[in-house]
Amino acid sequence: MTDKFHHELVVVKDEVLAMAYMAEGMLRDSVAALRTGDRALAASVKERKSALTGRNDTLEEELYHLIALYHPVARDMRMIACSLKVIGSSERIGRYGKDIASVVLETEDNNRLPDIVSALSIPHMADLVLSMINDALKAYDGEDIAYITRHSERDDTVDLLRHTIFREGLSYMMEDPRTISRCTNLLMVARYLERCADHSCKIAEKVIYMVTGERIEIR
Amino acid sequence: MSEPIITTEKLNLWYGDSLALKDVSIQVENRLVTALIGPSGCGKSTLVRCFNRMNDLVDCCRIHGSVRYHGKDIYGTGSDPVEIRRRIGMVFQKPNPFPKSIYENVAYGPRVHGIKDSSKLDAIVERSLRNAALWDEVKDRLNESAMGLSGGQQQRLCIARTLAVEPEVILMDEPCSALDPIATAKIESLIDELKRNYCVIIVTHNMQQASRVSDYTGFMYLGEMIEFGETGRIFESPDQELTENYITGRFG
Repeated sequence: MTDKFHHELVVVKDEVLAMAYMAEGMLRDSVAALRTGDRALAASVKERKSALTGRNDTLEEELYHLIALYHPVARDMRMIACSLKVIGSSERIGRYGKDIASVVLETEDNNRLPDIVSALSIPHMADLVLSMINDALKAYDGEDIAYITRHSERDDTVDLLRHTIFREGLSYMMEDPRTISRCTNLLMVARYLERCADHSCKIAEKVIYMVTGERIEIR
Repeated sequence: MSEPIITTEKLNLWYGDSLALKDVSIQVENRLVTALIGPSGCGKSTLVRCFNRMNDLVDCCRIHGSVRYHGKDIYGTGSDPVEIRRRIGMVFQKPNPFPKSIYENVAYGPRVHGIKDSSKLDAIVERSLRNAALWDEVKDRLNESAMGLSGGQQQRLCIARTLAVEPEVILMDEPCSALDPIATAKIESLIDELKRNYCVIIVTHNMQQASRVSDYTGFMYLGEMIEFGETGRIFESPDQELTENYITGRFG
């Protein structure tokens, strides 16, 4: 029976990873759409959102079943606790991807968006955030906390970038009020990216718990 | 941890040439439930049997190291095994009531210890059956045979029989393994009640039972105490990989 349980754990972990990479893909594509003004790509990100929610619900149910049927303890329990956090945070990351895609679709003078996006260091911030998410998922996959040892410092950099983007955005808006609508949207994007970095930290915290049994807070 | 009630120090036990316990050192606290888990033959039953000198009855058994009860070596000179077994009672895997009435099963121990007064015996029987959560089910048929009780009731009767001689420690060796889930749940609730007044040490193969009922858990393997600690920690994040592999079903 325990062999069956451990086999199911391996299967569900693969499904959790697939869902997490789907969410990461939504965020990545939404940022690419923002960089290039690609409305079709932004629309495809929005379309993926309901499938992501469906996967989250299914996986949550599967993980609850494993708890109810097998009463896992120790590393098995910690792995399930971590997986619940991975799917919850991934769903949020995917939804922020959808929100960024909405900015692309809803900004009227959309072909002027890429210039301001680049000027505001949003691509740099997005690359940092995506690398944090990827490393948190690699750590989960390989049960290897080496990938996430610097997550706290990386999150500090992301927070700093958000403040920088806010100040830069303000300057643009003061200089040219016609940019207000675009810039306020992009300040929201910076906020979404910062929240995605926070979610990668939440995943990293639970990976550390899964691997070591220690509960720590990544600030 | 407050003052321990039972302490073992470098306890080694041989059955003939076979080493069954190896350097076991633990401290058991009063008014808590301590569970011993581990695969078959790991020494957990042997260890609890050391606590009330039940292994004295095994011819080829040799013991080195110490078992202290309130700081006194129970294997020391002048130690009285009968008195030790009164203070440290035991409940076995299979309910083993005497082929007598329910009343006589409970009154037997106090009688052996010299209580003759029937009103005193009545009070002991009622109190013991109440404490074993059996009184309401048997109060109208105390003079009927104990053999007519269900398995779960028989086991609670055996617990009442243990309580009748006013022990301080109750050792339970797989007390639920012959019982159905409902009877098991009743015994587990009873264990939770008993720890208010007694020290309970339970040997169990059922790890979920250990996690449900105990405050401290010891994991044994090949005669050694691999890990001993708070039950919540042992089942969430044990220190030893061997413990983790056992409780997650990776061996055993």
